Amino acid sequence: MDRSDIILLDGAMGTMLQAEGLPVGQMPELWNVTQPETVSAVQRRYVEAGSDVIYTNTFGANRYKAAGCGRSVKELVAGGVRCARAAAAGFDGVRVALDIGPTGRLLQPLGDLGFDEAYDVFREIVAAGVEAGADLIVIETMSDLAEMRAAVLAAKENSALPVWATMTFEATGRTFLGVTVGAMALTLTGLGVDALGFNCSLGPKELLPLVEELRTWTSLPLIVKPNAGLPDPATGEYNITPAEFAAALSKAPALGAAILGGCCGTTPDFIRAAADALASACPAQPAERPRSGVCGASVCTAFDGVRVIGERINPTGKKRFQQALREGDIDYIVLRGVEQQDAGADILDVNVGLPGLDEPAMMRRTVTALQAAVDLPLQIDSSDPKAIEAGLRVYCGKAIVNSVNGKKEVLDAVLPLCKKYGAAVVGLCMDENGIPQDWRGRVAIAKRILDAALACGIPKEDVLIDCLTLTVSAQQEQAAETLRAVRAVKEELGLRTVLGVSNISFGLPARENITVSFLSQAMYAGLDLPIVNPNQSAVMDAVAAFRVLSGQDRDSEDYIRRFAATAAEAAPVAKSGAEMSLGEAIMRGLGQETAALTAKALAEMDELAVVDRLLIPALDRVGDRYEKGEIFLPQLMKAASAACAGFEVIKTRIARRGGASVSKGKIILATVRGDIHDIGKNIVRVVLENYGYTVIDLGRDVPPETVVETAKRENVRLVGLSALMTTTVTSMAETIAALRKSGHDCKIMVGGAVLTEDYAAQIGADYYAKDAKQSADIAKRVLG
Amino acid sequence: MEARLDRIPRAETLQYLRYRGSELGRESLDELARCETLLLQTARPRLVWRLFPLSADGSLRGADYRPAGEDIRAFLADCDSVVLLAATLGAEAEALIRRAAGRDMAQAVILDAAGSAAVERVCDNFCDDLAAALAPRFLTDRFSPGYGDMPLSDQRALFRVLDVSRRIGVTLSESALMIPQKSVTALIGVSDRPQKKRGRGCESCGMRENCSYRKEGKSCGSF
Repeated sequence: MDRSDIILLDGAMGTMLQAEGLPVGQMPELWNVTQPETVSAVQRRYVEAGSDVIYTNTFGANRYKAAGCGRSVKELVAGGVRCARAAAAGFDGVRVALDIGPTGRLLQPLGDLGFDEAYDVFREIVAAGVEAGADLIVIETMSDLAEMRAAVLAAKENSALPVWATMTFEATGRTFLGVTVGAMALTLTGLGVDALGFNCSLGPKELLPLVEELRTWTSLPLIVKPNAGLPDPATGEYNITPAEFAAALSKAPALGAAILGGCCGTTPDFIRAAADALASACPAQPAERPRSGVCGASVCTAFDGVRVIGERINPTGKKRFQQALREGDIDYIVLRGVEQQDAGADILDVNVGLPGLDEPAMMRRTVTALQAAVDLPLQIDSSDPKAIEAGLRVYCGKAIVNSVNGKKEVLDAVLPLCKKYGAAVVGLCMDENGIPQDWRGRVAIAKRILDAALACGIPKEDVLIDCLTLTVSAQQEQAAETLRAVRAVKEELGLRTVLGVSNISFGLPARENITVSFLSQAMYAGLDLPIVNPNQSAVMDAVAAFRVLSGQDRDSEDYIRRFAATAAEAAPVAKSGAEMSLGEAIMRGLGQETAALTAKALAEMDELAVVDRLLIPALDRVGDRYEKGEIFLPQLMKAASAACAGFEVIKTRIARRGGASVSKGKIILATVRGDIHDIGKNIVRVVLENYGYTVIDLGRDVPPETVVETAKRENVRLVGLSALMTTTVTSMAETIAALRKSGHDCKIMVGGAVLTEDYAAQIGADYYAKDAKQSADIAKRVLG
Repeated sequence: MEARLDRIPRAETLQYLRYRGSELGRESLDELARCETLLLQTARPRLVWRLFPLSADGSLRGADYRPAGEDIRAFLADCDSVVLLAATLGAEAEALIRRAAGRDMAQAVILDAAGSAAVERVCDNFCDDLAAALAPRFLTDRFSPGYGDMPLSDQRALFRVLDVSRRIGVTLSESALMIPQKSVTALIGVSDRPQKKRGRGCESCGMRENCSYRKEGKSCGSF
């Protein structure tokens, strides 16, 4: 073997252009148009040094960074490709890679850039690069997996070129945004990139351990393009020599990397030294079966033992959940996810299907909101391919799709989506003829699903089979058939299995006994991914015990930790809150006690009376003490949260009865466009909710149109706007003007650090709320 | 010089919470301590800085940047060089604070305040280290885009010069606000003469017209 197995990339571009006189802080891409010969000359030196692939000088050629530079993205990109082409001219086989870097903005949920807009920014660059004649597309220096996904999808959907993807990691093994090596590998391999790896970040020596880990997660070609060591903060200079760089880089092929080059601080001398050092290198073959699993935006759940899928995000048979879906109360749904994460779930099933509801829209919203609140991978559960795709498109990571079955039209509709977005898929052992009563029939369907998935390009490891649990009280002999089928799918087909366990005990008393016993038997038969209620501690105890007995939990570490934690927590609960009043419980911020005392009060009074005579007067007293400075903000919040637990008891009771809600009216809250500070708005929201108002929280960075549309559609009579910065008070004024102009009859209250009574009046607000307590007083005045 | 977050000053956290001296009680003190520990465990403070000589016209030599406004000119009047600094607690701390808002607002408001105190602490530590490294020369206080008449839009130039997004993972929103929010950018002047501490008085503060402490006749430095 010789270096034909290694592809050598180029080195730094910015470093070189700065040496040619580009001032620090000026846009390097401008030179593609104003000084193309300088750019080409740099690239030519890389070609002469041995680069097989050169990157275009288009790292920052996106619409945000190019704004105001006087040139369009298209001009900068076309110029960039032209420069590189000129540099490669006369050298056989040297390829030109369209270089795409980060937008410089952060995607939601932490940032303010939407997925669709990010996609469009990248689409514009890809289109220009394809038109200009690039040979391949390289997306590099990403630290956010969501942004990387948007770029990869834009590249794949708008070109037929190979796509390479590299991210920037720190020595901790994570990116700035917390993405792990495994999460990057699972997501990008699933999306179908042609090669992946690392660039920038660190020096070559520091990157080697990360390369080693990456190799375990994927069999794709690996890319390594490190910096020339670490920069001196005072001068910006990097600290290793070409020889040191080449010596360290030449260790990468043995770890499986085949595409190598340099990033910040490297020069043609570094590439020449690397070319020499790699002259006889030969990349190690990838492992035959890389590790498999699923992941969220940062963290992986590997398929290497029993993993619990939480089933609670599902409206079936849950009145309160159905009500939340109908009212678009996304926070209620998200809290069910948070609870399950806290209870130890590894993956969350997400089902938001309800007759009459726009399921694709709800799925997209729920997936986005859940990923902002929990790290766990999600299982997108729907029978509507449109809802599945809506969820997969915005899902950051590698998901599971639940589910397909043996029906051809279902396989044809859903499997291509799983392939495109790189999701694992659950196959149910049923088809046109229903569920086979015999275990052999179920295994036969599983085999058919596997074949269809493989034909579609989905790897075997990503096919998970659900042998279906039937209710034992109705079909007693079927429990054994299911267990036989699980064992056979595992042993004969070599596939992982999923099973919705809880259904087994339906219709029997003391259901938990049956559920837990069946779960243990199923795990013994080979069940990998039980779908259960993780809030039932007996269920989680059974899983913890099984992991010890099967040897998955080495030295029983997890088991010991689980029960050490329970023992410690058990003690203080024993304290009796019997003699406490509801008001006292709220004042002290005790949620559990408030809930218990509310339930007790409901035995004697109706819901409205409990709200008006107990909960609200208690909150008033807390508010007064806050105003007088007797308690401070966190104590006010704690009391409000406790009252919230009381309200939840009331809401659940009403939902169960199907009665009208106790809401005192709707209020819109929004942090205005351009402003990302929402802690103040969130404080106000908690307080208003606890006075019994229904708050429609539009979030932060909210455009005036959204406020107007929502106010009209929901017929809202009080709108609260928040702005923290002097600069964003302008958009507050715009929002108020838009509301007035729409002719919708409503009052507007405003708040935020830079506002005053006078200022509020000047921009046309009806009320100025200096704090959360005052916003509640205003709400009382307007809505009663 | 590494980003150092050794502790989170309690007094500063309370100040951001607009604490007015009431009895805190065991539970609140425990919660404050819990939040500080959580943040110290979660934050991954990072910083990037660079020293530039100043030209006579106030621009930075070797960089395509001239700080905007009269106030910064006055602030750097005695200085021949300036240090540009960007510091952050990182995305994990940001996610911690945001997620807390969904499940426990009491904790969220404390984390938010403690986060502000923490990133200031990182900057204070940096300035101590820098002062030691540059001694016997003297440093001014920190001056940030948005102070006085320096527009927030200077943030963009500063980000380009320091390559902030690539180096420490902080990004700018459409309206030039930093994300993660617990981040700071600043200019620090370097001079041969001692510099009087003026960056932190009410006179030079961009919030002076609307400050809630001033409305109550107090200042954030003496509540």
